[in-house]
Amino acid sequence: MSGVTRRSFLQTMGLSAAAAAAQAKAEQAVEIVGGVRIIGPGPVAVTLRVNGRELAHEVDPATTLMEFLRWHAHLTGTKEVCDRGACGGCSVLVDGKLVDSCMMLALDAEGTEVTTIEGLRSGGELDAVQEAFITHDALQCGFCTPGLVLAARALLNENPEPTLEEIKEGLSGNQCRCGTYSNVFNAVLTASGQKPIMDGGA
Amino acid sequence: MPGIERPTMNRPGNLGQTLNDDTSRLDAVAKVTGAAKFSRDRYELDELLFACFVRCPYGSAELESYDAEAARAVPGVLEVEITGGEGKYQGQPVGTVVAESKTALRRALRALAPQWRMRQSISGVEEGAGEAPMTEPGPAKLLEESDLVLDATYSTSVQTHSPFETHGGVVHHRGDRAVAYISTQGVQAAADGLDRELDLKRADIDVRCEYIGGGFGSKLNGAGKEGALAAQVSTKYMRPVMVFTDRYEDHLDTGNRPSLLARVRLAYGRDGTIEGGHIHTWGGVGVARGGGGAVVPSGRYGFGQLQRTHEDVQMNTGALRAFRAPGRPQGSFVEELVIDEIALGSGQDPVELRLRLTEDPDFHAMLQEGAERIGWDRRAASGEQNGTVRRGFGCGTSSWGRYPARAEAEVVVHRDGSVEARTGTQDIGTGMRTVAGVLASYHLGVPIDAVRVAIGRSGLPPGPASGGSMTSHNVAPAMKQAAEDAKRLVLQAVGERTGRATDAMDIAGGEVLENGEAVMGWREACKLLPSDTVVGRGEWSGQRGPSERVGEGNSKGAQFVELTVDTETGVVRVERVVAIQSCGVVVCRKTAENQIIGGVTQGLSYALFEEKRMDRATGSMVNPNLEMYKIIGTGDMPHIEPVLWLKEQTGVRSLGEPPTIPTAGATACAVFNAIGAPVRSLPMTPDKVLAALEGGGA
Amino acid sequence: MNTFAMARPQSIGQASELARDRRWTLPVLKAGGMDLLDHMKEGLSEPDLLIDVRKLARQGARMAGDRVEIGAGMTLGEIARDPTIVGQAPVLAQSARSAATPQVRNVASAAGNLLQRPRCWYYRGVEFHCLKKGGGKCYALHGENKYHAIFGGDPCYIVHPSNLAPALVVLDGTVKIEGAGEREVALADLFHLPSEDLRTEHGVRTGEVVTSITFGTAPKSGFYAIKEKQSFDWPLVFACVALEMEGTRIGSARVCAGAVAPVPWRLGNVEKALVGVDVGDEEALKKACAVAGEGAEPMTQNAYKVRLLGVAVRRAVRVAAEGGE
Repeated sequence: MSGVTRRSFLQTMGLSAAAAAAQAKAEQAVEIVGGVRIIGPGPVAVTLRVNGRELAHEVDPATTLMEFLRWHAHLTGTKEVCDRGACGGCSVLVDGKLVDSCMMLALDAEGTEVTTIEGLRSGGELDAVQEAFITHDALQCGFCTPGLVLAARALLNENPEPTLEEIKEGLSGNQCRCGTYSNVFNAVLTASGQKPIMDGGA
Repeated sequence: MPGIERPTMNRPGNLGQTLNDDTSRLDAVAKVTGAAKFSRDRYELDELLFACFVRCPYGSAELESYDAEAARAVPGVLEVEITGGEGKYQGQPVGTVVAESKTALRRALRALAPQWRMRQSISGVEEGAGEAPMTEPGPAKLLEESDLVLDATYSTSVQTHSPFETHGGVVHHRGDRAVAYISTQGVQAAADGLDRELDLKRADIDVRCEYIGGGFGSKLNGAGKEGALAAQVSTKYMRPVMVFTDRYEDHLDTGNRPSLLARVRLAYGRDGTIEGGHIHTWGGVGVARGGGGAVVPSGRYGFGQLQRTHEDVQMNTGALRAFRAPGRPQGSFVEELVIDEIALGSGQDPVELRLRLTEDPDFHAMLQEGAERIGWDRRAASGEQNGTVRRGFGCGTSSWGRYPARAEAEVVVHRDGSVEARTGTQDIGTGMRTVAGVLASYHLGVPIDAVRVAIGRSGLPPGPASGGSMTSHNVAPAMKQAAEDAKRLVLQAVGERTGRATDAMDIAGGEVLENGEAVMGWREACKLLPSDTVVGRGEWSGQRGPSERVGEGNSKGAQFVELTVDTETGVVRVERVVAIQSCGVVVCRKTAENQIIGGVTQGLSYALFEEKRMDRATGSMVNPNLEMYKIIGTGDMPHIEPVLWLKEQTGVRSLGEPPTIPTAGATACAVFNAIGAPVRSLPMTPDKVLAALEGGGA
Repeated sequence: MNTFAMARPQSIGQASELARDRRWTLPVLKAGGMDLLDHMKEGLSEPDLLIDVRKLARQGARMAGDRVEIGAGMTLGEIARDPTIVGQAPVLAQSARSAATPQVRNVASAAGNLLQRPRCWYYRGVEFHCLKKGGGKCYALHGENKYHAIFGGDPCYIVHPSNLAPALVVLDGTVKIEGAGEREVALADLFHLPSEDLRTEHGVRTGEVVTSITFGTAPKSGFYAIKEKQSFDWPLVFACVALEMEGTRIGSARVCAGAVAPVPWRLGNVEKALVGVDVGDEEALKKACAVAGEGAEPMTQNAYKVRLLGVAVRRAVRVAAEGGE
């Protein structure tokens, strides 16, 4: 948002020039109603802690966490798929908990630790889930993959040695259109130190 | 890239038979880390603009009024233009909006507040179905005279492709050239289609689609109307423009697998032999013309003296587009279930009957192998179980030809020993990138981790579109030739610099061999190149020689499904699928297995859950999302066993589509076996299963 | 979504005041935000003030006398895992666990689950101006009504979407509502039929905030849902049952069905029929539960629900008798 003044941004967000000027001025004086601070309407400064770093952007209050990450922070590993919290494609970790970032306001992620797929690897090493996904080819087009990897990581954090049924339940909020689930199950079993499912022979 | 070769041992039957058993996907790291950039991810572009269509929300309606001024007044909106006054299907564009953000686009659409006057519309194939009169006397007579006649109606629903990355692209006109990140299954066709929109020469248009979030056939339309819109707007503003459908739009106007209604009347003998009769189908094609046919009979089984007729039914819904094995999953559903119904009617075992209905030895072998693997001897005769939960077994077959396409390829060898395989086709999740890399490494004689692959750009040596399952088998000979050409150039350089005879030399395992003995490492050899790079080139015309026999070049398959049906709830739980698939020489084991698994999974989803459901009164889809448009999830997954069939295979063959052909049919047969009554309608949801159990038929 | 102002009150009192403040056209409470964001994204609702109550009323399960009390902000995931609820009121833990997806359960609040709007696809689609939204007709009546009501419909045929509500009905649950004053409402009285008021489903008024939910213990209670997909999917029909056992015989039963009516549907006829039935007697159990469908008024596409209801009830009785999963 370089080179954009608060006033000109307000203009792009829904207010006439005069109202934009007034709004900008009004916002310098923080609105308090009944002892409660009111944020917005119009652009608000949002600072989120993502993958251990502080990211600050001025965004419309209606901006979801997914939109903050993708449109503003350009962290596009988190994907837009259904935008309604049905498919898990936009899954991230918020304070370690798996959530659909498309159904959380960026404002609601303030004060939390957000982990996206970009933040999973540490010190150049891939997460065990990522390694297992590679080994077992638990991906095809790759669009659902970040969400699935994070869902698997969240599952293993809570349940380090899940049964196949527990894996299915833990990943039940993540869809894959290419249909690679079978390999995903084997990847999660492997990542948790268990054996993948053997195919029966003749 | 170290660590790409990673053996896995959980599918032992497939090991030792492919060009490369152990390589993981070359783009796996990019995908599991989120580094892979899809067209829809291009938010980093400076001064990015957004555009979208204004769309008709009903099957047929007139646009009575709208508030363009209010829409234009939404901050960030640059343009609002209404170009049409009516829509003939839900999703039909009647105008466009251009804005500085997606948020502004959405708010503009809301402020526009279009008012529509609805008209009558057709949104179901059955609305266009009438009588199916027989006109051929031979088959008609057979039906009249036979004791045993199957007379039944079958139906399937509209299935939307629902790729997770929706449809569209980002086009950036830079004045003298343009870059277009189109989510497409054909970068060459996309580039071809944009020269007019951009008013540029083809050579100055760079279409890039290095990663794409699925297509399944719906992105074979060049740049598409979304890409065209992005190009038009970018040309006007000289800024990058993103146009992508949202999930609602994506269900409406980006193609679909047409619905089917099939009236089947077949006479058969006491031994199950099909004597003949009539199959009439209606295909719900939306606003398209043609393409609604179902491939039944498939040609794999003898259907005797058959009259086969078809009508397309036009509806006020988005046009169909080719969807993974067009016409086949629905046709196969009808065919396989019909055969099982005839099997029951004639007291035959369905596998035995199929062995009699086909003479093809490959199908014989596959059916027998599949029957053994699934444990067909555990199958109870249909209708003989009494418990609440009943077990069923079913099977089906598939075949697919080889569609010819031109392909060019390059293998570039650098002085530092790195290799780049280049092909202007796409990897739509099929693993084509990896296949290309493995081919280059195999035919050049160097390990896979020395090879990078450039793919998915129109400026690369032209390759086929990712459709018709024609990518691998057309690119393979071109890549082979390019790799061998590169090898020749490297050995030529070695020969010139060391005096060794080139015809005594070869490259294998990353070493230069002279008379079979290793004499030099690959890196060392590359240092001797006359210039920074040498480029090996390959070309494939697509045409097979006249000596190729009929039936050769077919990928064949057989699938066996084991499931249970809870007869109190109608819920079907699939437990196991054995999917046997031939596809010629298998280049890369892991990606081949994944194609099979993916095809089967999509087939199960089609069989049990998916349907585009229409409100008849308004012609509007009631489930344009991923919540009530039900795609199979983890809890519904059986154990799928992909079995690579490599007996006497020559040449690389098709793989993408064949594995999704027999699944729905085999599943329907298994349900029929479990409950003793056929569910003749997809998806086989609990309400239909319960209705079949109650004897009402479904 | 439209732009809006957001307030983060520190207390229920502040939240309630803000919700009644007339300087805003449509102030709404936001807890997990799942249902609210869906409405806003679909263009069904354009609030100008969101009152964030996520961090309020978050207390977990504790005993209040012989009843259990949870904060309105307790998430579905927390309810599903809470040892007190799992042990003392398994029907509630099971109903929470069966809802939605792991992602949604991490965020969705108990009160939000009770107060959410219907999932009817005509209601959720802005192109259908249906009765509930102030329009002229119910599209489901002659349209796609496969997932709609078999009891209590007319003139609107939604099914109540909450998994928790029927469980709380059989647990004799109440909600505490704070606003200008404070009141306690039984779950059984919280929701009303469309014939009473078409535009709303529950009786919480503007400016009021649900702060806690209290319910009785019922170790022999259970939940059973029948779904099309065994991963994320809304139930076709589900049943919640709480039993008082006398050995293997049912002394008394409380039975409430979900996804069959615009409100949680208490099945008094089944409750009567179950008294004295031995849970080991499959035939007697079947017979008793079969009356569940009596009086049902199926629509053109949902008659199958009548058959499913008896099955769901019987299987929930099994789960309950076995003392939970």
